[in-house]
Amino acid sequence: MFWLLFKESIFFAWHSLVSNKLRSFLSLLGITIGIFAIILVFTIVDALESNIRGSIQSLGNNVVYVQKWPWSFGPDYPWWKYMNRPTPQYFELEELQKRCKTTEAIAYRIGARKTIKFRSNNVQNALVAGISHEFYKIKNFDLSSGRYFTENETDAGYHEVLIGASIAEALFPNSDPLGQQVQISGQKANVIGVIKKEGESLLGMSFDYQVIMPFNFARYIIDTKSENVDPTIYVKARPHISNAEMMDELTGALRSIRRQKPGVEANFALNETSLISQGFDTLFDLVGMAGWIIGGFSILVGGFGIANIMFVSVKERTNLIGIQKSLGARNIFILLQFLSESVMLSALGGFFGLFLTWLITLLGKDAIDMEIGLTGANVILGFTISILIGIISGFIPAYSASQLDPVEAIRTN
Amino acid sequence: MLARPKIITVICIIGYLSVLFTFPQVFSPGIKKLGTMVPAIYGILVAMHFIACVGLWYYKQWGVQLYLIAFFAKIIFYLLSAQTGPVFYVNAVLGIVFMFVLLKHYRKMNPNL
Repeated sequence: MFWLLFKESIFFAWHSLVSNKLRSFLSLLGITIGIFAIILVFTIVDALESNIRGSIQSLGNNVVYVQKWPWSFGPDYPWWKYMNRPTPQYFELEELQKRCKTTEAIAYRIGARKTIKFRSNNVQNALVAGISHEFYKIKNFDLSSGRYFTENETDAGYHEVLIGASIAEALFPNSDPLGQQVQISGQKANVIGVIKKEGESLLGMSFDYQVIMPFNFARYIIDTKSENVDPTIYVKARPHISNAEMMDELTGALRSIRRQKPGVEANFALNETSLISQGFDTLFDLVGMAGWIIGGFSILVGGFGIANIMFVSVKERTNLIGIQKSLGARNIFILLQFLSESVMLSALGGFFGLFLTWLITLLGKDAIDMEIGLTGANVILGFTISILIGIISGFIPAYSASQLDPVEAIRTN
Repeated sequence: MLARPKIITVICIIGYLSVLFTFPQVFSPGIKKLGTMVPAIYGILVAMHFIACVGLWYYKQWGVQLYLIAFFAKIIFYLLSAQTGPVFYVNAVLGIVFMFVLLKHYRKMNPNL
């Protein structure tokens, strides 16, 4: 019985929407804009978050970065305390390898922007990184072809490089890069491997535009004494060893290598990826909140629009309601009839809002080389909000219609 | 239509205001983080609360029944999602007080839809 009533009220509601096309379209526009604003912001935030978290993940959760500058956010950054610190040196890596027991791998890395050439092709501002052998144990990257350096090659500083996918595409558009000789700052190097394409990284850490070479070869290309080459020692903890435990050992070992007296503030920073995550968490919360407020107001306006149109609809059809009631229509039928109309109106608005968001994500995918898409959770959220606003804004007009006295209603012009 | 006592009017106005403030929470980033279906469940609870207030406004018995269901469902929701801050306790205490007032007037209310 209820299902029959429901089906019939849906039919009535649909008929009413179709017979007032322009009015229906204008009233659902508010909800469309609101759902579009909220879901678009949530979709963008989700995509940015997953990209950044992916980049942070690739840095490794159990990796500590020994650097001159600490990673921290906020206005109270005492840079004057850090600027006179020494930068991590290659010999410190060798010392740490001897002294630390809690580490699984330790690697050294420097990087600089250089032009890389092959015959008439060149890539400017490619990130050239000089690394020590254990770098592959710390950073996650796969090779699409070729191989990694052997320990002998990294120690002896062979003139060999691994190149990123975008560099390979730019330098060798029609040929296999493996075994070819590229030129970097006047030095020739053989390409022994190509790193698998990673896509854009918002943190700028994609290997696509990088050239990796042994540190002992990089000495000829990069000024190793310069601070601008960002010298970093990467330290990865053994399985089941916490970062805190490893950092305690590292602090002791580094203080002893640098001959720092007890009580003197350490002249190095031990950075963890969790520091970056925390900084971004705050940012994402703020962006999500802004989208929530902007979209919330649009939804509110859209809700009032639907409520208004439903009151007009009830007023217009008072006579009809009276006839329906006098012919035996029950209150629940009248209520469902108007409520279905407002929910349908609102759900249609939500559908168009989600459709617009989907279109924007398709366009965005092509415009920026980043994975962005409408998630199931956001679709559910969009429909939930639109149906909810339909119920809330349509219930009072629908209920007041159901309470009308049939005689009074029929008399109304 | 039976005359609605002032206390019920006050409860309804407080209810409408609380719906106005809790509705935006349905699509807040905080609720979204709790799970995919959580905003939908919370949305149903907000809608139930609103409809219950409309029922009370018209001095109907179904308004009280729906108010009680919405109140206990909300309490369970907050407990399950571990959102038991000071606001939760204030809402719970107010809700219980309102419940007693509503039950006191229940017999005088209109039993029809």
